[in-house]
Amino acid sequence: MANIAAKRIKREFKEVMNSEEVAGGYIKLALVNDSWTELQGTIVGPPDTPYEGGTFQLEIKVPETYPFNPPKIRFVTKIWHPNVSSVTGAICLDILKDQWAAALTLRTVLLSIQALLSAAEAGDPQDAVVAKQYRESQQLFLLTARHWTNVYAGGPSAIWEFDQKVQRLLDMGIDEHEARVALSHYDWELERATEQLFS
Amino acid sequence: MSAESDMEYSDNDGDDYDYYGEQDDCDMEAVDRSKSDPEYFVFSCLRVEEVEKLLNESIELLSNSLQITPSLAKVMLHAYEWNAQEILKKYQENANEVLVYSRVKPSLPLPQGNSSQSVCAVCAGVPSVNKYSALACMHYFCDDCWGMHFEVQIMQGVSNTIQCMAQDCEVRAPEDFVLSHVAKPAIRERYQQFMFKDHVKSHPQLRFCPGPNCQWIYQAWVRVGARRVECRGCELLTCFSCGAPHHAPTDCATIRRWLTKCADDSETANYISAHTKDCPKCQICIEKNGGCNHMQCGACRHDFCWVCLGDWKSHGSEYYECSRYKEDPNLGTDNQHAQAREALKKYLHYYERWENHARSLKLEEQTLASLKSRINQKVMAGEGTWIDWQYLWDAARLLKRCRYTLQYTYPFAYYMENGPRKELFEYQQAQLEAEIENLSWKVERAETTDRGDLENQMDIAEKRRTTLLKDFLEFNTNSASSSKV
Ligand SMILES: [Zn+2]
Ligand SMILES: [Zn+2]
Ligand SMILES: [Zn+2]
Ligand SMILES: [Zn+2]
Ligand SMILES: [Zn+2]
Ligand SMILES: [Zn+2]
Repeated sequence: MANIAAKRIKREFKEVMNSEEVAGGYIKLALVNDSWTELQGTIVGPPDTPYEGGTFQLEIKVPETYPFNPPKIRFVTKIWHPNVSSVTGAICLDILKDQWAAALTLRTVLLSIQALLSAAEAGDPQDAVVAKQYRESQQLFLLTARHWTNVYAGGPSAIWEFDQKVQRLLDMGIDEHEARVALSHYDWELERATEQLFS
Repeated sequence: MSAESDMEYSDNDGDDYDYYGEQDDCDMEAVDRSKSDPEYFVFSCLRVEEVEKLLNESIELLSNSLQITPSLAKVMLHAYEWNAQEILKKYQENANEVLVYSRVKPSLPLPQGNSSQSVCAVCAGVPSVNKYSALACMHYFCDDCWGMHFEVQIMQGVSNTIQCMAQDCEVRAPEDFVLSHVAKPAIRERYQQFMFKDHVKSHPQLRFCPGPNCQWIYQAWVRVGARRVECRGCELLTCFSCGAPHHAPTDCATIRRWLTKCADDSETANYISAHTKDCPKCQICIEKNGGCNHMQCGACRHDFCWVCLGDWKSHGSEYYECSRYKEDPNLGTDNQHAQAREALKKYLHYYERWENHARSLKLEEQTLASLKSRINQKVMAGEGTWIDWQYLWDAARLLKRCRYTLQYTYPFAYYMENGPRKELFEYQQAQLEAEIENLSWKVERAETTDRGDLENQMDIAEKRRTTLLKDFLEFNTNSASSSKV
């Protein structure tokens, strides 16, 4: 790894560890290997959002040309959010793309991702299906996001009705995650989801 | 009405045939052509050095008038699409606004008390004072970091728009600042190449010839409607307005739609005809995904034969009974699926003809090449001079040009609304098509056909072509400029 990248990452790692956000338990950062090329980030779901109470893991890959190119970051924890792919965890955030600046740091980036959970950018969606639900059936979107937070991120509020529907498909021999994706995509209409799964 | 149009052009005696040919034009001819050729368009075809000179004139003008470095002048010209006069005028009114708009200066007030002694925010190192620099925004970083930043950006193809490294700062790095931080000759050269390309692309009066590896650049002053430019190097015909292959009588927006549609649908169309058929009972579209010809419709459970669409029950296990049922598909036409099929059929009708003429044009290319060598042989053998055989060459070129226009009449017709105008268009199109086939026949047998006969046919074909263009290109340009926002 390039000297400058390693030097920067080490410094940023310290910066995050000493930050008040880590002290307050809002974000975390951990090393994955000794070479500083990969890190694991953690953010907690912000209050008053459907992600509240959830803990979300992020994969952070540091490119050779860091900080002149942005780090590559995706959600490892599955999440229902218009700017995050429900399939790959890829994030659509300007500072991770063309608005990246070499002077930006991991701390700022983690806080920006956390902020994205509080305020989605519906005009710049990563996941078209989620974005459509977000725009057109806000209530259903909030419930679905809360349900995913409960199931995948350890969030506190289970949605009984959704759990039941997933169980119904599970009984038919369908993989649990696949069932949840299909139901979430079809606004929790069991019939349409089943149709899609069996077509 | 076609007789009338023919009358209009009866004074056209065929001496203006080489405007798709070599660029040996003089001004006298240009005047004539603008009358007889509905596609006539004023442009020049320039070499890289000529364009560099042209750009440098604007850069010098601006840097002298405003007493700024040529590098800064470039940043501003790029932002204002090379309109130096507009920059000068606006600069008089509000210099600061021009500098902010060009991103020479930051829009926000300068950061306070940014000590140049502090740590470089990018590499976390502490450089000595003289190895530290900043753009007009006063965001200081060490010179090594600037150098790395520029190298990474240049390798990604960025040139004119490289920005400062500070967060949320959009100030652009001018050429002299970039070059003072980049030492590697290969990167410097790459940067300057990208700069030039970017300058041409941002200049409304310039356009690169899209020909593969072609270095020529067009210059023209109108950028609306189908505008024919021809490359001096590769002879490609391009539309100056949109950069697509020249497409009269079709307008820019329509040709874009058509080309996108063709790219999107070519697979679908092939796939649909090869892999799907309608269920003979309920007309649902059925996809064939295996080798078995016994199909069962998923919707109505009807069993039928893929080959003849007949009822499977009457097939037994013997395939040879199949042809019997051919005339019994019993297809309805009043459902949505049949309509989709109808739309596809319409598209395929136009697409096939479009494709067919494109193929013929490629063949015409070969005809031209072989004709050239045949004429050369004759001249070598003492059977006349090139001047004696020039008419043959002209005929073949004219044929190519007519076919070219004919090809581009198909997308135009495809998107036309039904009505008398479309009828007129398709009438003229059919006439042009017929005369082109006549001409093609005669060109292929040119050495044995009477010269007068051939020249007469050339005249007729070209008249059909100019009539069609005159009637529809004008309409086309008007609608293009009126719909422009
Ligand atoms: Zn530095
Ligand atoms: Zn700056
Ligand atoms: Zn060319
Ligand atoms: Zn065009
Ligand atoms: Zn059927
Ligand atoms: Zn059959």
